[in-house]
Amino acid sequence: MNSKEEILKRLAADGMPESPYPEMDFVPQRFEAREAVFAERLEAAGGRAVRMQPGETLDGVIRRCYPEARRIASTLPGVTLATVDPDAVEDPRELVDVDLGVVRGSFGVAENGAVWIAQDIRHKALYFGATALMIVIPQDALVDTMHEAVVRPEVDDFGYGCFMSGPSKTADIEQALVFGAHGPMSVTVVLRGEN
Amino acid sequence: MSTHSQSAKRFVADAERLAWHDRALYAVREKRDRMMATVPEWESLRRLSSELKLHTLSHLGDYLCEFERNATANGMTVHWASDAAELNETVWGLIRAHGGRRLVKSKSMLSEECGLTPYLEARGVEAVESDLGERIMQLLHLPPSHIVLPAIAVRREEVGALFERELGTEAGNSDPTYLTHAARRALRPKFLDADISMTGVNFAVASTGALAVCTNEGNADLGTSFADLHIAILGIEKVIPDMKALGVFTRLLARSGTGQAVTTYTSLYRRPAPGREIHVILVDNGRSEWLADARHRNMLKCLRCGACMNTCPVYRRSGGYSYSYFIPGPLGINLGMLRSAERHHGNVSACSLCYSCSGVCPAKIDLGEQIYEWRQQLDELGLADRTKKLMVKGMDFVMGGPPRFYGAIALGRVAGKLPRWMLENGLNPWSAPGRAMPPFAPRSFNAGWKKEERK
Ligand code: SF4
Repeated sequence: MNSKEEILKRLAADGMPESPYPEMDFVPQRFEAREAVFAERLEAAGGRAVRMQPGETLDGVIRRCYPEARRIASTLPGVTLATVDPDAVEDPRELVDVDLGVVRGSFGVAENGAVWIAQDIRHKALYFGATALMIVIPQDALVDTMHEAVVRPEVDDFGYGCFMSGPSKTADIEQALVFGAHGPMSVTVVLRGEN
Repeated sequence: MSTHSQSAKRFVADAERLAWHDRALYAVREKRDRMMATVPEWESLRRLSSELKLHTLSHLGDYLCEFERNATANGMTVHWASDAAELNETVWGLIRAHGGRRLVKSKSMLSEECGLTPYLEARGVEAVESDLGERIMQLLHLPPSHIVLPAIAVRREEVGALFERELGTEAGNSDPTYLTHAARRALRPKFLDADISMTGVNFAVASTGALAVCTNEGNADLGTSFADLHIAILGIEKVIPDMKALGVFTRLLARSGTGQAVTTYTSLYRRPAPGREIHVILVDNGRSEWLADARHRNMLKCLRCGACMNTCPVYRRSGGYSYSYFIPGPLGINLGMLRSAERHHGNVSACSLCYSCSGVCPAKIDLGEQIYEWRQQLDELGLADRTKKLMVKGMDFVMGGPPRFYGAIALGRVAGKLPRWMLENGLNPWSAPGRAMPPFAPRSFNAGWKKEERK
């Protein structure tokens, strides 16, 4: 008998009484000012949310939020400031330590400031190797809680995806919060309206 | 004196460290409380999470097979390991087949449980811990003392001195930001040059065959971004039915553990990237037997959030190394007993039965009640403490009737006037090393009550 069969045999004999799949017997919290809650919770996680102003371009937001960024990697149409096409790069190591990555997110989650990113670029290294990350989502793409988030169609089909809430962080030295443990030091979520 | 209080001696002797440890962890517990207050349905969520775990455990074989089917269809390879030795051998086999000696690891309590890192090191594989806390402990050659805050008992000056020695940071600089960024720079090449990446898994979703990995640092994701082989290891209890369940657990995990609304990264690995491989190893190592133990199977509901440690008054004041099992606190006391009651029963006395752990556990595990249960089981296991048994016999006699009880109290009051050395010695079963005799009240509660009534 192989290990799988042995394990399954032991589990079958565990004598555990059947427990049904539980029903959700409560209504999860709702936020009236969803965008404000999202922005506040994202800030608590060390990130920030900015709204694209009427008439503003993505380039404009980049200059507004990251005026110092020189090496910018993006595949998003409208980012003419991009100096690196991340999809044209063979070796993902080349994307490490670019100043800014500008990437597409699907939607945000108000209760925790997270944004769902379903990888749509060649190397996910950009999400984690860039010094700063700007994630662009449609302005009205916000849900209240994780209950709604995980059953969205964008979370149904993907190879790699991530709920990302603010920049990389650690408190492993005496519980002092430090941003940029390994991943981005800074994260900005851009809420993009119909411009 | 219990083996736990023996081992706690060193930690307790450093009063300043103890006070800091106690305060720092309680602050995390308070953060958890503030997070809980932002979710009105908190208690319903805990109940749902507990029921989801129970349901899954009662169909564990089915869900494991469903996970295997879907993960395989997604292009992952699934392996099964009965015990620690088989996990280690499977990992070694994968490394040999793939080639390469450099492995970058994200945090996994399972690898500690199975002794994977020393096993690989003995075979010439460099397994670098990439979580900052874990890396500190690895460089210190010490095990983690907490399951989610591995370096919680290490002070900043100690990290400064360690990094000065190991990474060449400035002498005397113990600023956490400076040190963290020094570690970031030092670890970059370990990520970029790794041949293999290894991660633990927080949840394996059966219905989609996806792996959920939660970190704050992003170290797991950076690790899997370069190496073309990703080995993911998990205990069989980590499988969950579906995405709906993932929604419930991700609302609870970080709020309970570190007092964050969610971990920075909740990553879902579903299909390997083109040209890459993901190998998943499902590990039993005792779990299927623990599931057959009706009194203690609840332990397998654990999400590994760490809340029970943060809240435990004994853990906070005795530190992770005072327990004989590699997982400390209420969780570790229970898991240690399941692993080997003979080796780890000393830990069951590291509990004041305050049940605070049971109150915070996001899977509603009755941790405190189970520790009490283990104490009751010590006798049947032949592990009961003989002195304590004698004490209990004495108590039985004293409690045998009111005259004996009040007689004993009267004697106790006399005893209160005796010099301490006469009481606090090995001959007095009411006293124990490490414990001072409390002063007796001048009169019993009952006597006081009666006197008040007469007024
Ligand atoms: S037993 Fe409960 S509180 Fe403790 S680590 Fe596990 S889930 Fe968290």
